[in-house]
Amino acid sequence: MAKKKNIAAPIPRIRSSPKALVLTGFGLNCDWETAYALELAGAEARRVHINQLLMGEEIGEVARLDDYQIFAFIGGFSWGDDHGAGVIFASKLLYNMGEEILSFIEKGNLVIGICNGFQAMVNLGLLPGLDGDYRSRKVALIGNDCGSFRDQWVHLKVETSSPCVFTQGLENLELPVRHGEGKFYAEERVIKNLEKNNQVVVRYADSEGRAANGSFPENPNGSLKDIAGICDSTGRVFGIMPHTEAFIHWTNHPDWTRQKEHYRRRREPYPQEGYGIKIFRNAVEYFK
Amino acid sequence: MVARLEITLKPELFDAEGEAVRRKARDYFNIHLDQVRTIHVLTIDAKLSKDQLESARHRIFTNPVTHISSFAPLATDFDWAIWVGFRPGVRDNQGSTAVEAMEDLFKIRFQPGEAAYTSRLYLLRGQRLAGDKRGYRLVERIARELLANDLIQQWRIYSREEWHAKEGIGIIVPKVRLAHEPSVATLSIASDEELQNLSQERNLALHPNDIPVIRSYFLRPEVRAARSKVGLADPTDVELEYISQARSDHCNHNTFRGKFFYRDLVTGETEVVDNLFKTCIESPTLELKQRKGWVVSVLWDNAGVARFDQDTYYVITGETHNSPSNMEAYGGALTGIVGVYRDPMGTGKGSKLIAGTYGYCVGYRDYGGPLKPHLHPRRLLDGVIEGVRDGGNKSGIPTPYGQVFFDQGYMGKCLVFVTALGLMPATVAGTPCEEKTTTAGDLIVMCGGRVGKDGIHGVTASSEIYSEHTPAGHVQIGDPYTQKKMHDFLLEARDEGLIAFITDNGGGGLSSSIGESARFSQGALVELDKVPLKYEGLDLWEIWVSESQERMTVAIRPENLKRFMQLSRKHEVESTVLGKYTDDGKLHITYQGNTCAYVDLDLLESGFPQWEFEAEWVPPEYRGLREPVLGPPEDHRRILLTMLSRPNICSKEWIVRQYDHEVQGTSAIKHLVGLERVVPNDAVVLRPRLDSLRGLATAQALNPTYSRIDAYHMAACTIDETVRRLLAVGGSLEHLGGVDNFCWPNIQYHPESNPDGKLKAAQLVRANWALRDYCLGFGIPLLSGKDSMYVDGNLEGYFGERHKVSGLETLQFTGTSVIKDVQRCVTMDAKMEGDLLYALGFTRNELAGSEYYDLFGYTGLKVPQVRLEEVLPLYRALEEAIGAELFASVHGIYRGGLGVHLALVAMAGGLGLDVELARVPAEGVKRDDVLLYSESAGRFIVTVAPEDRARFEEKFKGLPYACCGRVTKIKKLKIRGLSGKVILNVGLQQLKTAWKKTFANL
Repeated sequence: MAKKKNIAAPIPRIRSSPKALVLTGFGLNCDWETAYALELAGAEARRVHINQLLMGEEIGEVARLDDYQIFAFIGGFSWGDDHGAGVIFASKLLYNMGEEILSFIEKGNLVIGICNGFQAMVNLGLLPGLDGDYRSRKVALIGNDCGSFRDQWVHLKVETSSPCVFTQGLENLELPVRHGEGKFYAEERVIKNLEKNNQVVVRYADSEGRAANGSFPENPNGSLKDIAGICDSTGRVFGIMPHTEAFIHWTNHPDWTRQKEHYRRRREPYPQEGYGIKIFRNAVEYFK
Repeated sequence: MVARLEITLKPELFDAEGEAVRRKARDYFNIHLDQVRTIHVLTIDAKLSKDQLESARHRIFTNPVTHISSFAPLATDFDWAIWVGFRPGVRDNQGSTAVEAMEDLFKIRFQPGEAAYTSRLYLLRGQRLAGDKRGYRLVERIARELLANDLIQQWRIYSREEWHAKEGIGIIVPKVRLAHEPSVATLSIASDEELQNLSQERNLALHPNDIPVIRSYFLRPEVRAARSKVGLADPTDVELEYISQARSDHCNHNTFRGKFFYRDLVTGETEVVDNLFKTCIESPTLELKQRKGWVVSVLWDNAGVARFDQDTYYVITGETHNSPSNMEAYGGALTGIVGVYRDPMGTGKGSKLIAGTYGYCVGYRDYGGPLKPHLHPRRLLDGVIEGVRDGGNKSGIPTPYGQVFFDQGYMGKCLVFVTALGLMPATVAGTPCEEKTTTAGDLIVMCGGRVGKDGIHGVTASSEIYSEHTPAGHVQIGDPYTQKKMHDFLLEARDEGLIAFITDNGGGGLSSSIGESARFSQGALVELDKVPLKYEGLDLWEIWVSESQERMTVAIRPENLKRFMQLSRKHEVESTVLGKYTDDGKLHITYQGNTCAYVDLDLLESGFPQWEFEAEWVPPEYRGLREPVLGPPEDHRRILLTMLSRPNICSKEWIVRQYDHEVQGTSAIKHLVGLERVVPNDAVVLRPRLDSLRGLATAQALNPTYSRIDAYHMAACTIDETVRRLLAVGGSLEHLGGVDNFCWPNIQYHPESNPDGKLKAAQLVRANWALRDYCLGFGIPLLSGKDSMYVDGNLEGYFGERHKVSGLETLQFTGTSVIKDVQRCVTMDAKMEGDLLYALGFTRNELAGSEYYDLFGYTGLKVPQVRLEEVLPLYRALEEAIGAELFASVHGIYRGGLGVHLALVAMAGGLGLDVELARVPAEGVKRDDVLLYSESAGRFIVTVAPEDRARFEEKFKGLPYACCGRVTKIKKLKIRGLSGKVILNVGLQQLKTAWKKTFANL
């Protein structure tokens, strides 16, 4: 396939809520909460098994990517993370429906990849999508420096100059990482390019919002330049290691019982929504 | 052709996997390496063209950003190389996914016998690694004690000199080759002795008392007449294996259903305890089920079912996987957690998994003594942690809670507790989801993995004491990927109303799952030749009892088969019809049209004699236990710091962080809480329905050291601790669900091999009495439970002699409670400066079995006791006060006592505490160290906002409580002793350093 030029498609206007496809199957596992988060944000979300897209007729459950505007690559352990996290997932999609995914992006739709989804997207080449090339593997998410899987909440600093649709209006975020292979790695010139193009979206930071500068555990995996998430040059294709769908209720936050004491003593109402919903709401708003 | 693909990280990239090996070699064996790099090897044994191989190499297996790869050897520049690969027949999950990926890429199917195998090559560099014999010995130690377990893996070692640059490791294909024609054998039952000998020869583990019953069945004229019509006479090996599995202690719980002749050797009183299960578990639970409408389904299915809300139930069970983990820690623990997850999947018509928890009891990590267990406790614990990690994380099921306990006794056999929680709708397709049955005409369908030789005789092996001769065939590697696909598939099938009955293939394999499910319809006809195999050459009985993992047995009505198979294809899970359920009362098995088993299903229900045990109780004071003569310490600061750093008290954050504890988005109270999120909370809370504020709290406890004094109080304290943990977070006394997991050393008396068997039997009876008394007292129906006996090992010592090492009598108790609104939940960390600190419940001089006594090597006599009439009113008041949001923090006082737990509350909050011991409610305590380290049950520490003081004190009027200090901004734990003098004033940082340092580099 020929390399694509930078795609600056018009925003598809839709009358009702945008439809979101949450891809499941083969060991992916954040399907329910990602779909729920998208619904809370105002999208109409559907969990779709990969084989519904690839062999829908045979199994009596046809689904078409064309019917959706938001495509979510979710977290999990697709194919057990064997042979590299997201590697077989990417190969499965690339050699069975690669063209459809590119055409989905070309139409101006949104793609988000979270954790294993992000890993799959970089192996597909959808990210970083430098110069509109959505087929080249230029960056990688490799084994954490700490040597094992790690579940921990992190502070994230949002690069406000990024065109990323999903993080508009956000400056700081707190989300959990839950991965064994999340170290962002690329050659220096690739990283320079990403930074130049404002394609770095979120970085690991300390509680004050300052870049972690590689220090553990603020930067939990040794990611180069503290990079936790990147987007393509249009900002419509976004991948992030921390789990945006894991902070959908305020009680998901590890400190909520501490915050509650403040609210309670000030006789203030408790917040309900988790901050992660904002990422999905930005996606929904994009189509309005 | 066979091709060997090698893949490695580009040389400029940091190799975290190799670095971990380097670090462990240094930390564990004091072997200093300069560098370790890893090469991943994929050996492809299939008819693929050169182009296809090349395409697979660069399209799938090589990441251009990070990897280099080649079909030629990549290793250069090393002093020693170690290759590690699986032995033939060991589950190679990555090999399977490699095949799946290549099949998809080339749109082909691998033929029978074709496969891909993964292995690793480690390249070691070190200045001190000479190429001589001494160097070899060090490298061999790394291979044997760190990288490979010879039960499942093989290894080869290459020195730089020996390395053949062109050939590398050569081509190693660990293919199973069984030059064996499947057969069925007939076994002679001419006499009891003959059958007994056959049982021993074939590892059937038949109980001697069962043998006459089995013989008399097969000798009955009407049985012989019926059998001759299907071409059978004497029993076949398939039949005897079936009986052996079903009668094993693991499946049949012969110990708990046994008859105990209990005698108190001091009073001379005797009592015949007929069936511990019936009297101490079943009957109290049934009584409580009458009173508690939320108990839905208990005591018969794979797991218990209780109401979560109007239209949702939760499901829970707990298991152990001790014997396999003891031999192959990673594979055993992985198989354990993945296996227990199949229980809720196979409960009612199936439930979705929502959480798993763990409990590990092992020897001390730094053990340096002469005993030689198969795996050093350090390596064993690492493996167990990683096994449960991969099993839970790769299944997409959060692992939110767990505990670890170290004791020398677990060197003989470790304990690996795994607990699973699921959720099911109250109804599916218009029928109650918790109900299931098989009906004549239903098809028997096996879903999931294929059958191999793995896991054969697992059930009977776990009913034995570990020895060097235990067959290694029952060591398995679980496959969470296959099971996750099956889980998703079966839930969809359930929701479409396709499942009539479902159960898992665990212990005993098809023999158990079909044998048990056939009892509902009263018969089954099974065609063994239909069973999909991993490789040819299995005998019929092996197919029948194999414990190959990740399989469920499902009953499907014929009209639903088409849709069921369609969903099976969608999820790429293999499903096979093996036969059908019948109602002729027979279990009828055929192979290629010939009958190989034909037995009455009710054979197992009648006539087998109960197991019998002599139980002799000698009260602790008559066993010579006394309180130690121990004067009060002068340096309270150092004692507290020492206590905090002890393995059973100190931080285990390194374990908790390896578990995904918040996948599914349901996490409401996490295990690690507080300012820095490092201190374990009393319990965890899930919000399993994302659209609801309702919560499910769960917690576990174990206190095995109290068994040194009296297992009755061990069990009582463990139940009380679980209750307090649940209440502390906001649980309710109205809804307390329990799961009992007993792990006990062998209780069958033998003058030479088990001389204290009678005492251990008495301890088991006493623990069960406590279970009965306190479950009734607190109102805890036992939703599920299991027992695992034979926690013993015979370990080689320094001189080649063998020592029997028995584990402590252990009960792990798991509790659940439903919380109406998770926003009412409280955590244990002090929250605000100026808050008042209260102690609730009496402290008494109850130090026996405590961490404090253990520090000095004492056992003691005065073990903590649970006084129900005293604690229940206190617990009720606590529950009400939490409901009224009167507490900023609530924390129970557990192992380590008040001193340790005050420190934890302060550390978690990042705030100081100013405490006056004189005001702590106490009875008969005259010493500071007793107040600080006694482990009396029934106590809490809470903090309260000053403005809530009056409302709080009103609720606790007349109860043992006292304001004994306050939360301070100065980051110090300051304690005034009974005399009023400050006996301790330590900075939080110092406390934290002590508490974290023990496992700091993990």
